[in-house]
Amino acid sequence: MDAASAPPPARRSNPLRRPQVATLLMLIVVLAGFTIAAPHFASPRNVSNMLAFMPELGIIALGMCLLLTAGEFDLSVGAVFALGACVAMILVQSTGWAIGPSLAAGLLTCMLVGLVNGLIVTKMGISSFLVTLSMLLVVRGSSLYLTQGFPLQSYREETVFRTLLAGDFNLGPFRLYASLFWFAGLALLAGYVLTLSRLGNWISAIGSNRQAAIARGVPADAVKIGLFVLTSTLAGLAGMISAFRINNASPVAGTEYELEVIAMVVVGGTALTGGYGTIFGTVLGVILLRAIRNGIIMIGVPGLAYSTFVGGIILLMLMLHAGLRRAGEPGR
Amino acid sequence: MTDVLSLSDIHKCFGNVVALKGADLSVGEGEVVALLGDNGAGKSTLIKIVSGVIEPDRGSIAVNGSPVRIRSARDAMALGIETIHQDTSLAPHLSIGRNLFLGREPVRLPWLGPLAPIDFGQLRDAAASLLRRVGITKSLTAQTPVNALSGGERQSIAISRAMQFAARLIILDEPTNNLGVEETRGVLRFVGEMKAQGHSVLLITHNVHHVLQVADRLVVMRRGEVVAQQAVAGAGVLDIEGLIMGVDLTAEEPALA
Repeated sequence: MDAASAPPPARRSNPLRRPQVATLLMLIVVLAGFTIAAPHFASPRNVSNMLAFMPELGIIALGMCLLLTAGEFDLSVGAVFALGACVAMILVQSTGWAIGPSLAAGLLTCMLVGLVNGLIVTKMGISSFLVTLSMLLVVRGSSLYLTQGFPLQSYREETVFRTLLAGDFNLGPFRLYASLFWFAGLALLAGYVLTLSRLGNWISAIGSNRQAAIARGVPADAVKIGLFVLTSTLAGLAGMISAFRINNASPVAGTEYELEVIAMVVVGGTALTGGYGTIFGTVLGVILLRAIRNGIIMIGVPGLAYSTFVGGIILLMLMLHAGLRRAGEPGR
Repeated sequence: MTDVLSLSDIHKCFGNVVALKGADLSVGEGEVVALLGDNGAGKSTLIKIVSGVIEPDRGSIAVNGSPVRIRSARDAMALGIETIHQDTSLAPHLSIGRNLFLGREPVRLPWLGPLAPIDFGQLRDAAASLLRRVGITKSLTAQTPVNALSGGERQSIAISRAMQFAARLIILDEPTNNLGVEETRGVLRFVGEMKAQGHSVLLITHNVHHVLQVADRLVVMRRGEVVAQQAVAGAGVLDIEGLIMGVDLTAEEPALA
């Protein structure tokens, strides 16, 4: 134990030691660096472009953050991203359903995928890595088959749904999309749930020590199933937002989003192995990764080497977190 | 006197393995019962049944004389049964305060159900007064994460959690494993305090000396059955160890009973 006389170090949770603080510092450095190196990086047009696309991944990341905190993965989010919008557009175009019910049916399909993921993981005890990897293939294949491999023209008529999901307006020199408000609102809600509500306490406890949580009467399986459903639903919603924004519902939309989203969440400081999650960090991680992807092109990194840089920066970030975590552990 | 807990004819199989074959056990009010037995004797299975982790195949459970079914940990806690498991009681990433109230968080706006906001003020106050009661005030606050604590401190937290909910019956599953001398003493002192306050305690242990120190009665299990029980007063270490190991003590049996 600690020496008796000296005030014991690191016994209190030092807020500055939290991983999201490191992410925030990193983000500031990255934004400042790109702004200096690439004059157009901070231009209203480029910022607007980044803000248009960022929420679509960010919304998925919120669900993924809660799921990782509870100690589970979802690799099927990229495929579900495409599925929801494809189902909705097929219903509109080939059955003549109105847009509202079609979107609802699309979201319901996504929820069903999440429900199946959750039930198999909790009731059969199979690792979520394997279950959702299989589900990725099932869902992606289904979207391709349903659409016969062709992207569907999206719904062009101006409806309330279009305005709600992908409406845009100008604020000064910036062009902002409705998705930004979805992202902000959902982030506040997720942050509240994780840090302030009973449910958040349960989610962290399940990821930290599932047996202990169950022994205290926490309905661990129900919480996990709910989080799988939530994550799939958010992925479906993000896919619909994207489909409206680019007027196109593609069966291959969202390919490899699962990895990018997990990277965003983990770079933000959430533990990949569960027990600790931060929505604030996740939002920072989302901004950081998008800024890096955008900025790297702006400063003229050769296109083919682009992935190398993104991967390298993510690795650096993870090493930083690991180093901080080790320094924060009590010396025993 | 009604028994706080009484189990009769409890059976439990896991596949082909018979873990319990007709175990009987009772704990009286304010009584400290030590449950002894070698590894694989069925002690853990019996405890898991009482704390709602698993359900028995057959058998009946009564709490305060009335028959009950314990289907979940929630049921057990509602009946006033608090279990302190060996190592698995706390979530290491969570703070002391969050652990103390895990599953029973004090909330404002309770109509929000699981989404209700935790009342952190109440949580902090309750945690602070509990930490004082179990005598671990030094440098620990409700916000300290559990993974910054030593094994003994963790055990104290788990114990104070059971105290706080004023359980009718407190089950301690090998509470002194991995603990130092001073911490072990603290746990045994706690058992005494619980008894003095009228709680019943069921203590699972391998350590015969601890049994002699704190228990009123001892119950020995072997191969899924309760094979012996007797008052602790007057028993010696060797007698008890003989019972656990299943050495043939027929000759001494009358003397023990």
